[in-house]
Amino acid sequence: MNVINLTYLREREKKEYGKRTITVIQEFGAENIAQCMQCGACSSICPLSISGFEWYNKKLIKGIELGLRDEFFDDPTPWACVACNRCSEVCPRDVNPFEVMFAMRRLMIEEFVIPPTALEALRSLYEHGHAIYVENRKARKAVGLDEKPPTTDSNEKALEELRIILKNTRLIELGLFPLK
Amino acid sequence: MKKYGLFLGCNIAFNRPDVEVSMRKVFPAFGIELDNLDGQSCCPTWGTMPSVDLVGWCAVAARNLALGEEKGIDLITACNTCYSSLCEARHKILTDEKLYKKVNEVLSKIGKKYQGKSKCRHIAWVLYEDIGLEKIEEKLKYRLDGMRIAVQPGCHFLWPSESLTEKEEDPFNPVILRNLCEALGAKAPYYSRLIDCCGAGALKSTSPEKALKLAESKFKSIEEEVKADLIVTTCSSCMIQLDESQQKLKKIGKLKKEIPVFHYIQILAICMGFDPKKVAGICITPRDKIIRKILEEK
Repeated sequence: MNVINLTYLREREKKEYGKRTITVIQEFGAENIAQCMQCGACSSICPLSISGFEWYNKKLIKGIELGLRDEFFDDPTPWACVACNRCSEVCPRDVNPFEVMFAMRRLMIEEFVIPPTALEALRSLYEHGHAIYVENRKARKAVGLDEKPPTTDSNEKALEELRIILKNTRLIELGLFPLK
Repeated sequence: MKKYGLFLGCNIAFNRPDVEVSMRKVFPAFGIELDNLDGQSCCPTWGTMPSVDLVGWCAVAARNLALGEEKGIDLITACNTCYSSLCEARHKILTDEKLYKKVNEVLSKIGKKYQGKSKCRHIAWVLYEDIGLEKIEEKLKYRLDGMRIAVQPGCHFLWPSESLTEKEEDPFNPVILRNLCEALGAKAPYYSRLIDCCGAGALKSTSPEKALKLAESKFKSIEEEVKADLIVTTCSSCMIQLDESQQKLKKIGKLKKEIPVFHYIQILAICMGFDPKKVAGICITPRDKIIRKILEEK
């Protein structure tokens, strides 16, 4: 882990990165990030900080405020967030640290920093309408159900509808995978 | 007759369809009709559209909710991820006018709209609030008298309470699942790691080791404080994680005692007399011994 050079960062924050990162994060949905007072309520109950991830909520917010950006991209923490929302429940300033985590994911994706599992899930959502998709239907048959559930899996028209929706999102700009 | 749209999600539809069977058996027995909600998709789960695009997340969720709205019914789910993704998207849509407009713009491309009328409910709340503990007790063929249950409500059943359809009086001291379990005759005491994360989902796919550590500390607490005969959860993801991680911990010598894991709807279905092979037939940590014990103790 690197030591944060506050003087350097302050200078840089003034110049180029500082505003940019926090502004982008706000634009991506974490509107209230600037209200954070670093009290630590969120990190005291965050499964990521408890299990030892580097950029857990409180620290991530501080890093963003300081204007860090590239430093986040080598670390998987935001992608480990389980979206449990304990943080937003206890935040006394309505920061909604969960939104910060997910806004960071939305920024990371722009730089193609997305774990293969998430990319696969996205692709599967587009292909089948299900993030988790299992070809083998032994399990369904064994318990006496139709092989295909009554979802996009058995309804071509519905799957096409879903794909039209997905083509009208940022997915089309990002080009993570071809949207056929 | 009250009717709900049965929202399946991915894990239940493909990995644990015995949970789907349980829902299809239990609710009609209480006079609740289930609509197939034909054409539903993934909620969408956290690693997909919520990580990409706020509008995209809400639009996929709104399409699912609109399937219910068109029929004038709410959705019902046994998966905490589906519950929270759908609830949070709905909350955002209804509290942000711009987002509401953008989402409906996207939906208009497929000739749909979502007005926020339909919502998603969790099976535990429908059982607790609408059906009620007394009616549940009346329907039991088998009881869990003398057994001890460690409950796992799961994160997304509890927080953020502001967006969820229904909330515990104190989300950090949840009692709904404990009460539901005690209605079956078992003891379901508080334990210190009751609300802890099981380590499933993104945490597990990012770091299986760290996820396993979280599960390990939960099992320790369950073993020492509850001396549980079974673990019961209201979340399909927690169920899979707690079921599978016991075998991983066992392999590295870090698990004292295996404890069978059930979704609440499954253990209820068994107690109501439905075929255990169909309603609780899929697991890794064996459940047959405890199921036999339940069926014997009539």
